[in-house]
Amino acid sequence: MSVEIFVTDKAGLQKFYEAIMANHETYAPVETFGKFDFKRVARLTECDPESPVAKTRSIKPLFFPRTSRVMKYIATSAGTDVSETDEDPLAVKRVILGAKHCDARALQVLDKVYNWDYIDTDYQKRRENTVIISTRCDKADTHCFCTSLDYDVENLDAMDVLIVNGADGKIYIRAKTEKGAGLLNSEVTRHASPVTEESATPELKKQYDAFAASFRLRMDYAEVNAKLSKIFDTPEFENVSGNCVSCNTCAFVCPTCHCFKISDEKVKDAGVRYKSYDSCNNGYFTLMAGGHNPRPAKYRRWRQRAMHKFVYYKERFGENLCVGCGKCTISCPVNISIFEVVNQVAQ
Amino acid sequence: MNYTKQIQEIAAKLFAEGKIDVFVGYRMNGFDDNQVPVLISGPQDISKLVFTDKSVFNLVNYLKTDHTRRKRVGLVVKGCDSRSLNLMLTESQVKRENLYVVGICCEGVVDDDGQRMQNCVECMVPDAVVYDELLGETLSGSQTLTGSKPYIVNVDIAALAEKPLTERAAYFEEVFESCIRCNACRHSCPLCYCAKCCIDQETATLYNGANTTSAAFHALMTWSLHLAGRCVDCRNCEKACPSHLPLHLLHKQNESVIFKNFQEHLAGVNPGDRGAFYKYSMQDPDDFIM
Amino acid sequence: MEQLLVPMICKVDKVIQETPDIRTYRLKFREEGMMDQFTYFPGQFVEFSLLGSGECTFCIASSATRKGFFDCSIKKAGVVTADIHTSLEEGDEVGIRGPFGNWFPLDDIKGKNLLFVGGGIGLAPLRSLIQYCTDNRNDYKDFTILYGARTSADMCYKDEIKEWQDNKTLKVVLTIDKPEETWTTNVGVVPKILEEVVKPVIENTMVITCGPPIMIKYTIQSLVKLGFADKDIITTLEMKMQCGLGKCGRCNIGSTYVCKDGPVFTNEQLKNLPDEF
Repeated sequence: MSVEIFVTDKAGLQKFYEAIMANHETYAPVETFGKFDFKRVARLTECDPESPVAKTRSIKPLFFPRTSRVMKYIATSAGTDVSETDEDPLAVKRVILGAKHCDARALQVLDKVYNWDYIDTDYQKRRENTVIISTRCDKADTHCFCTSLDYDVENLDAMDVLIVNGADGKIYIRAKTEKGAGLLNSEVTRHASPVTEESATPELKKQYDAFAASFRLRMDYAEVNAKLSKIFDTPEFENVSGNCVSCNTCAFVCPTCHCFKISDEKVKDAGVRYKSYDSCNNGYFTLMAGGHNPRPAKYRRWRQRAMHKFVYYKERFGENLCVGCGKCTISCPVNISIFEVVNQVAQ
Repeated sequence: MNYTKQIQEIAAKLFAEGKIDVFVGYRMNGFDDNQVPVLISGPQDISKLVFTDKSVFNLVNYLKTDHTRRKRVGLVVKGCDSRSLNLMLTESQVKRENLYVVGICCEGVVDDDGQRMQNCVECMVPDAVVYDELLGETLSGSQTLTGSKPYIVNVDIAALAEKPLTERAAYFEEVFESCIRCNACRHSCPLCYCAKCCIDQETATLYNGANTTSAAFHALMTWSLHLAGRCVDCRNCEKACPSHLPLHLLHKQNESVIFKNFQEHLAGVNPGDRGAFYKYSMQDPDDFIM
Repeated sequence: MEQLLVPMICKVDKVIQETPDIRTYRLKFREEGMMDQFTYFPGQFVEFSLLGSGECTFCIASSATRKGFFDCSIKKAGVVTADIHTSLEEGDEVGIRGPFGNWFPLDDIKGKNLLFVGGGIGLAPLRSLIQYCTDNRNDYKDFTILYGARTSADMCYKDEIKEWQDNKTLKVVLTIDKPEETWTTNVGVVPKILEEVVKPVIENTMVITCGPPIMIKYTIQSLVKLGFADKDIITTLEMKMQCGLGKCGRCNIGSTYVCKDGPVFTNEQLKNLPDEF
């Protein structure tokens, strides 16, 4: 694929966004109660693709919904009839505007678990039918640490189209995948002009360097991986989890957490089965019917969370199950920071 | 408002005299000027303790965890926190003799952005009502709000009550739709101490554990009704909510119905005082029930 | 994946009340021919749904060498199992997904002496293997079954145990925890009987054990004390599971998915897992 880079200004970018909204099913951050959640939008005025990273939910629910119906059944005198629900996971193609690059990366991480052994076809279908347009952040938030993890933020290819606010005040639009190139060819040409890679690269680099310099949090992920894998029994987990209130918030807002539960709803003779988010911080998570619970104490659940993110997933699928977005820390009622936890434990 | 020095001294004294096993207080979160709760189990960590107008979280919440159960606990309470502690005592959830309570005459706390919290603007009980030791000058006299109708005080409620029913319904529908059912509200509420909660998803008995809007409606309403007449306005739930939902408003909305029909009542101010939902008489009004 | 979460319908063919709180459900697929496609090996499990109540994980308690049906033994323990016990009767329909997980290493145990150590409902997965092995009796050498329960009333598969006792090629040792008037044989917990009564031959012997977590723990300790190699001790783990597909994340022990890499593990493998089961 030849690299496609376009350059435009703020007005051109808005026209590009509007063109997308006019021609595609579009999802973008919409403000509700002071938080930005990705919702279906028809006009640019409804949403803010440049929403602040700290206040924006991840795009995970668009691929792995908070709740989905997995099957329905109806019991009659002739027998029970079980079927898939009629909900089509995703028939039409869609575009996501304003995804953060950490969220896009999270999908790459999730691909690994959804595509091993049994393949989650619904997830795959949603992935294939979605074009992700992501604006690279200009400045790191208090809890961001994406540059400290095992992926190259500068050359990330998790999004289909990358938008960068160049250091020279111009806006660069760059296709990262075939899907992205296709969208750009049909939508962007009227609002932006193509430039060569040589002329764009220095500006993109300058922007990235300024962004990378703005991080408060830095760590060496390889060191954390290595140290954590050796200290399963450290008492430090008790100290770091002491003030955890055992809610599920961190997992529900996390762009990479993927644990779910299955529950039934029954009305008379018919029922629906749901698949919804679940969290390992929940005391019931591993409680078995007989009363045996391998992780009854809070520190054990926190250990599972930290180790799953930085040791187990790495062992199994070769990636850290954390993209450094800081959403868990921001949302946590008592501001427990996964960054602080793994670093404090690893010391 | 800064009681850091006094609290450190008190904690040091308590540990030195062997009066407590754990001290629940606040520490700096280590990255900005905000604070998080901390449970200290020995004199070595006392220097972490702080108390300023950033000490927001209601620490009574920690009295229901394994870290403090059956232990002698020292803790810091502000006015609203002490009301929830009073209710915990009234409802026999903690033993008074196991606690050493440092009460604060609270001048109000501020949120992450430095704004005075809404519950502090509306505060009616700034002084701690249960304490072994009280820090600061009493503030009760300076408040003008006592005596007015509690549910009217909340400006949001008043504004909402003026709106037509359809608009109100749409407003709350959006609340329930935005709920992700993480249960941070229930886990952060000091008065939600049930070991098995009917809104926890695994033990949900009234509806399925799915994250649907209708389940969120059931969960939040059930939870809110359990708190009607008990809510002490600490807004721990609202601060905990990752969706920033107006949960306190939901409680007050429910509470206003009760206050209108029963007596007005400030929960947890007097020890042993019980709200409308604790009492039953044949004369209780029932015409507000749909 | 959603279609993988949709169960197939089975009809309850027979209900056997094994003990006051354990029932065995004999299931047949409603659709003709489905049973032939349902190939499974001893040690695998299914997701069993009582529609409207929920889904539970149970191991298959019968062997595929017995054609036409499969058994699930269910102990009343939680909400769904209580519902199953109260409402599921002969002729009713249930949803089944599976079979999932790995199975006992059938090739590795060929030509070996076999020692089965079971406790309580833990006999269910062993029963599947015992049936498989007795149906292929010539492939194996000495055959010992040690089974313990809290009381004589809590023993499951009483009729089948009788069959095993009558079978001259099998050695069956039973024990209960506390003495009872009518009980004439061993009394004591399983590890004690294992050491004092069974006194197994170590040479060329594979041990397969299953039971409550605490029993497994002490049984493995005694086996190691007796001199068994870790790779010769096989057990099946109980873990909370929901999807069975290696996705929902409940059954993680370290980087292992019990639903995919297990539930059957050798002690050698267990030693490399974090202590969280």
